[in-house]
This record gives sequence, C-alpha cells and structure tokens, in this order.
Amino acid sequence: MIDPIFTIVSLVLIIPIALFLGVIYQYFFRKLSARFQWRVGPMLRMYGDLKPLLGTTRLLQPLYDILKLFGKKTVVPEVSRKKLFVSSPYLSLLFAILAVLFIPFPGMPLLSEAPYSLIIASYLLIASILFTILGPVASGSPWAAIGARREVELFLVSELGFVLSVFSVAIARQTLVIWEISKGEQTLYLALLSVTAGALMLAAMMGKLHIKPFDMPEAEAEIVAGPYTEYSGKLLGTYYLTKVFMLYALVGLFISVFLPPLASSILWLPLYIVAALLILFLLTAVQVLNPRYRIKNAINWYLKVLAILAVVNFVIAVYIWLVL
Amino acid sequence: MKFSADPNIVDFVKKEIYADGLEYTPLRENRVAIKVKPEELDKLAELFMKKFEARLIHATAVDLEVQGFEVLNIYDFSKVKERLVVILKAKVDKDNPSFPSVAKVTWQATWAEREIKELLGLNPVGIPDPRHQFLPHEWPNAVESGLTGGQYKFESGSQTKEMYLPLKMPIEESYQSLIPIGPYHPGVIEGQIVYVKVEGEQVVAADIKTGFHHRGIMKLIERRGYNKGVFVAERVCGICSAAHGLTYVTCAENLYDAEVPDRAMYIRTLLVELNRMHSHLLWVGVVADVIGWKTGFMLTWGLRERVMDIIEAITGNRVNYGIWRMGGVSRDVSQELAAKARRTVDALKEECGKLLTLVAEHPVVKSRLIGVGPLTKAQAFDGGAVGPVARASNWKIDVRADNPPHAMYDPKVISWEVITDDNCDTYGRTLVRVKELLVSCGIVSQCLDYLAKTTGEVRIKPKTVPAGAEAVGLNEAPRGELAYYMRASEKDSNLPHAIRIRTPSYRNNAIIPLMLVGSNLADVPVVMGSTDQCLACTDRVEIIDEKTGSRKSLTWDMLVNLSRRLSKQ
Repeated sequence: MIDPIFTIVSLVLIIPIALFLGVIYQYFFRKLSARFQWRVGPMLRMYGDLKPLLGTTRLLQPLYDILKLFGKKTVVPEVSRKKLFVSSPYLSLLFAILAVLFIPFPGMPLLSEAPYSLIIASYLLIASILFTILGPVASGSPWAAIGARREVELFLVSELGFVLSVFSVAIARQTLVIWEISKGEQTLYLALLSVTAGALMLAAMMGKLHIKPFDMPEAEAEIVAGPYTEYSGKLLGTYYLTKVFMLYALVGLFISVFLPPLASSILWLPLYIVAALLILFLLTAVQVLNPRYRIKNAINWYLKVLAILAVVNFVIAVYIWLVL
Repeated sequence: MKFSADPNIVDFVKKEIYADGLEYTPLRENRVAIKVKPEELDKLAELFMKKFEARLIHATAVDLEVQGFEVLNIYDFSKVKERLVVILKAKVDKDNPSFPSVAKVTWQATWAEREIKELLGLNPVGIPDPRHQFLPHEWPNAVESGLTGGQYKFESGSQTKEMYLPLKMPIEESYQSLIPIGPYHPGVIEGQIVYVKVEGEQVVAADIKTGFHHRGIMKLIERRGYNKGVFVAERVCGICSAAHGLTYVTCAENLYDAEVPDRAMYIRTLLVELNRMHSHLLWVGVVADVIGWKTGFMLTWGLRERVMDIIEAITGNRVNYGIWRMGGVSRDVSQELAAKARRTVDALKEECGKLLTLVAEHPVVKSRLIGVGPLTKAQAFDGGAVGPVARASNWKIDVRADNPPHAMYDPKVISWEVITDDNCDTYGRTLVRVKELLVSCGIVSQCLDYLAKTTGEVRIKPKTVPAGAEAVGLNEAPRGELAYYMRASEKDSNLPHAIRIRTPSYRNNAIIPLMLVGSNLADVPVVMGSTDQCLACTDRVEIIDEKTGSRKSLTWDMLVNLSRRLSKQ
C-alpha cells in the first residue's frame, strides 16, 4: 500500500509538474510546426545580442503568452449571462486539474488507484470541455454560438472514439482502475490492442485538442475566434491554461492506458517523456499537413474511422478477455 | 514598335455592327467612338450582347461642364474583329440628367451605373438596384458632388429606410440570422462588408457593400498630368502595381502616335509576368490560410519572396516599381542580370510546380474547394466575370491574347497559352491560377533569354498629346481584365480631362453574392477569397462634399453613446 502522506505530497506536486510539462509540450508543438513551415518559432537558445533583452531561452513562451493575458483588462459583454460567462472558465480549469489528479505520473499513482478511476477521469475531462461550450453560449455573440455548436458536434463524435478506445483496453485487462492498467504486463495481443486503440485515441485527441483538420470550432477565418470571441483578459487566460492541463492530461492518459508500464515507475520517466514527445510529433505532423475540414466532413470522417477501428478494437478486446 | 490600326475600321463598324450612329471617330488601335442618342443606349446594349456576344468593359460618364454630361459605354468586340473596342457616347443634358440604364439589360453594369449616379448625379432610369455604391447606404443625399464645374439638380427622393437595411431584413430578425463578414474580419484582410443570412450553417441570401477604402485616385491623376500620373496609377494596388502601370502607359500611348522600342516591350512583359507570378503565389497562400492550412500559406509566401527578390534586383523596388514611362521604361536590364535571373527562375519553376501540384492534389484541400462557389459560364457572362474567375467557368477570355497591351505577347515571338478549366468552382479557379503561374514562368524565361542576348534603347521620347484625344488601354492584371479610359483636355496638353479606371475586382466582387447563396458558412471566406479580391482596386474613388461644405463631426463619446443606443434597441 502507498503511504497517504506521499499521496498528499504528490497531489500537491503534480499540479506544477503538469503545468510545466503542458507548457513544454506546447512549446515543442509550436517549435516543430514552425520548423515545418520555414519559420523560426520560439527560440530555444536566444541570439547573443538579444539575450539581455529577452533572456537566454524562450522555452516557457506558451506560459508567458498566458500570463500576459492575466495582466490585461477583462471585458464582460452586457448582453451575456454574466454568472455563467464568468464562472465557466474557472470551472473548466478546475475540472481539467481534477482530471490531472486521476492520471498517473511515473512514480506517482496519485488518485488513479481509486476504484473506477478510469470512468472518473473520463467524466472530468468531459466536464472540462462542457464548460468551454457553456461559457461561450452565454456570451451572446453569434460567432461564439456557431463555434459552440461546432464544438458540440465535434465533441460528440470524438468523445465516442475516446470512450470506445479507452474501454476496449479496460475490457481486455478486466479493470477500471488506471493504475492497474498502467502497471499491467504486456503481451503480444495486448500490444496489438494498444496499436488499434491508440490510433482511435489519437483520432479522438485531434478533435479534443482542435488539431487540424479538426479545428473548426476556432476557425479564425470563418468565425473570428469561435467560442472565445467575447473572452478577454483573465477569463481567456484561464481557458488557455485549461488547454495546457488538457494537453498534459490527454497525453498522460494515452501513455498510462496504451503504453504500460511507462507511467508506473520513476525509472521509466525518460521513456515517458520520449513517448509524450512522439505523440506530440504525430499530432504536429497532422496539424501542419492538413487544412481544416468542414464540420460535416469532419463528422463523416470520424464516423468512418470509428466504425472500422472500433469494430477491430472490440474483436481483439473480447478475444483477449474470453479466449486468453 | 509602332501600333497599327485598320484604316477602314469605321467602314467595317458601319457595315458590320451599327450604321445609324450620329458620328464615328476612329481612335488608335482599332478603337472606334460612336456618338449616339441617349435613348438608344439600352437597345444597343441588347443588340451588342445578344448578336455579337460583345463584352461590356465599363459604363461611365464624363462631365463636360457647361455642355452637359457624356455617358460612355465601352464594349469589347475582339471576338468579331481583332482589337476592336467600341465606345458609345451619348450626350446628356444637365437640366435633365437621365439616361436609360444598361443594367436592366445586363446585370453587370449595375455597379458602374450606381457609381455614375453617385459620382456625377446622373439618373440611370430603370436601374434594378438604385442604392449607394461607395457612400453609406443611409447617406441622405442622392449625390455627393464630384462635379468639376456644374451644379446638380437631380433628386432621386427614393432613399427609403427599407432600402438600406441589409438584405431588407427587419432589425429584430437580423440579430438572429444575419452575419456580417466585415468590414474588418480575419478571413478577408481588406475592408468590405458581406452580409450573409444563414439558416443553421447554410447561406440563404447575401449582399455586399463596398466603400471603405476611398482615396480619390482618379481625381489625383486628373490633376497631376500624364507623366506623374503613372506613379499614382501604380499605387492603386500594392499587389498588381505592374499591371496598373502597364495599363496606364498603354492608354496614354494610345492618346498620341506612340512608338515603343522592342527591348522596352520585353522588359514590360517580364515585369508584368513576374508580378502575376507573385500575385498568384500570394493568392494560393491566402486561400490556404483561409481554409486553415498555415503550412501552405508559409511555403507559398516563402516562394513568393524569391520572386520579389528578382523584381527588386531588376527595378530596385519590391512593390511599386516606378519603372513605367510613356514610350518605354526607365531602366534597362543588363545582360548579366538577365542571365542570373534566368537561373533563379528555372529553379523557382521546378519548386513551384512541385508545391502547387501538391496543393492541388491534397485530399482535404480538394474536399474544401470542389463544388464551392459554383459559377456557370452563362452566369459569368451576365455577371461580367473577368480573369481567372471567368476562365475557370470555361470562358476563354484573356486580354493578353484578345487585345494585348503595349508589351510583348506576340504568339510568333513568345509561346504561351490561355488556360481554361471546366470545373466552374473554386477548385477550377485554383487550377487555373496554378497553371497560369507556370505559364508565366515560361514567359519570364523567354523574355530573360531575349534580354540576355540583345542590347538596345529602352525609351523613345513621347510626343505631345493632341487636344481632345481619347484612348482605351486594356491589360490582363493577375485578377483579370484591367481597363483605363482617358480623354485628353481641350485646353492643356499636359492634363487629362478625365480618367476612368475599371479594375478586375470591381467586376468579380460584384458576383460574390451570386456565388455565396447556397453554400456553407464555412465556405464563405473561401468563396470570397476565390475571386482574389483586391479592395484597394475596387474602392479607388473618393467623393468630397463640395457643395454644402458643412461637415458634421462626432466626438468619441457621442459615437459610443450612439452605438450603445443602437445595440440596445
């Protein structure tokens, strides 16, 4: 059994760790896509003559961009429903942080040992996304309304993929506790399941993280800033912070569910980071290679991919459960 | 090279096209001005468009001070006879400045006649859409005086409140389903409003309002004279500045008996085609950005920089080249520079070919472009589409082939082709532009080959412009046919009496609402982008209130109050 004091300490520690790693992931994402696009991107080592002005590295550039927003004026539109409009970003952030607590980090099981932690984590992630929809709807802007509508449609199909992929693993391993999944042994069939379910999960992540071609809720050329059109200052910063935690949580969940035992012991930490960066590399490649779909095409694409992958997934999962 | 005209052109026009004109004047390069009675304008429009499939280039009017107004309809007859352009001129009295609208015969004249109405206060009788074109719809006066020496007596009295509500929707309804794309919107860089009425994400009606960029370019040229005017003309547009420069000099050279050295003609072609290359690369980038493909945007604009470098090496400037002169160009391209540029262009052509096929074959790009913004050939003809938009609707018009400007496009010397496509949608427009870019690469290489091998003078001094001369200059700008009309002053041999500019975006923007209806909201910026609109070109006039002289000014607080009061209603 794990020491309760260690659990409490790790619960406090994981929040800055998640924030830092989320920012590093975003940095990697931005730098990589910049290099794909003949741009420089945020500097890892600043030019010598700019060092006194800008510091030696801009590794934390995504964080600076968020912090800047906290120093700006926050405007709340008069036509909005103010309570919901103002509280949604904070609730969204809260649920994202709570979800982080249920996802194991190498050497820290956190709350993922709790019974049904897989279901709880999934629900917390859903709740976080739900509040990125509710706030904009309350803002009274037509752009936000269209963006939120697209977000709902996208969320419904991508959520389906998410649930199907995560729970096929849960069926195969006969447990709903993330910690048990993440330290479970690997067999050939389970590895095969990880590939198909992992592919499904990547597709779902694209929708949740608005990776192109699925960034239509925020399509700037079409609907300005989509859901975030009326948000500014602290509230917008809070939403961006939510995205950082969300990125960390989804990558962490991916590794702990599909790539056991990388999230089980502190010794695996270097490989954990490598795996995370590989996932981000895949997402970046998809992002830079694709324009944006229309929402209709996106849903069609999802249904097609889900239909094929989910069937294969379940056949493998049930085979492992019943035969092996 | 001297520019010849058929000596019997007037006889040809009388025999083949129209015999009952009041007066026939042959102009340079097979252009004929015919004086007609104003009542005949609409009948003639019908005759020309139906029987000869002539294309209306522009409808405009000139103020003749005490003598009245002259309404001009310029038609392109190049499919009937080589380089034939017919200008119909009808004198209109100042006391009763009315003439029959051509727009009721062919829809494409609507914008032009709305502009005439605003600019000079003439009344096109029977115009289907009588609202303001460049002024705000709710502007109280029918006319904002641009008169050079008269007074206006025309009062329309028809500006009702319903007319300027966008799409005639009641205000309460518009809050729910009216989406304004503009005046400043991330999908379209320049200022204009496209009102879009949506049901869900489906567009059911659309309207367009221009007038956010008025600068008074035409008036500026009229006050500066021929030699300085070319620099102003270049500044109509930052992207197709070469096209404007070339059209200006073509038009001005048609005013007098001009001669241009061959080498200058090649340099002109070289610059215009380089200009077209960077404009098309820019367009591909913009469309990639609009459909959310930042990588495509960055890569095409990266290639565009290299075209800009070649232009900079040749002219010394990146945007406004300042090289155009009446009778030639101001700077020679040395043989070494031409050879060096040739090597760069070859490498560029290869890379462009690869990248652009990649863009055109990308499955997601295709899914975003195929079937979006459909425009049939008949619609393109009636709407007056020009350039790549018309060619993508399988209508083979290209001024470079039909009615070339004063640059080297002779098929005997330079091999090139007019690209058309039968997709009739945004994907077709993409393919046309991508292929045209490669054709332009070929033309540039041939010009550079010529320049690397030969030497010669690049400018012949212009002669005096005769009083009262008229000319039309045409050129294929990257966005389509660009037309200049000039009339020399009777009193001053340095100043033009009138200059009229008809830019390609002026035509293509007008048909945007037509292409929008029925599309998805996600496709609206793509359709708007597909015409490669250049709003700086569209809104080139400014009308200043000379008559009342009173200008009501609003303080910041008053404006804020006004906007709040309106938004609460």
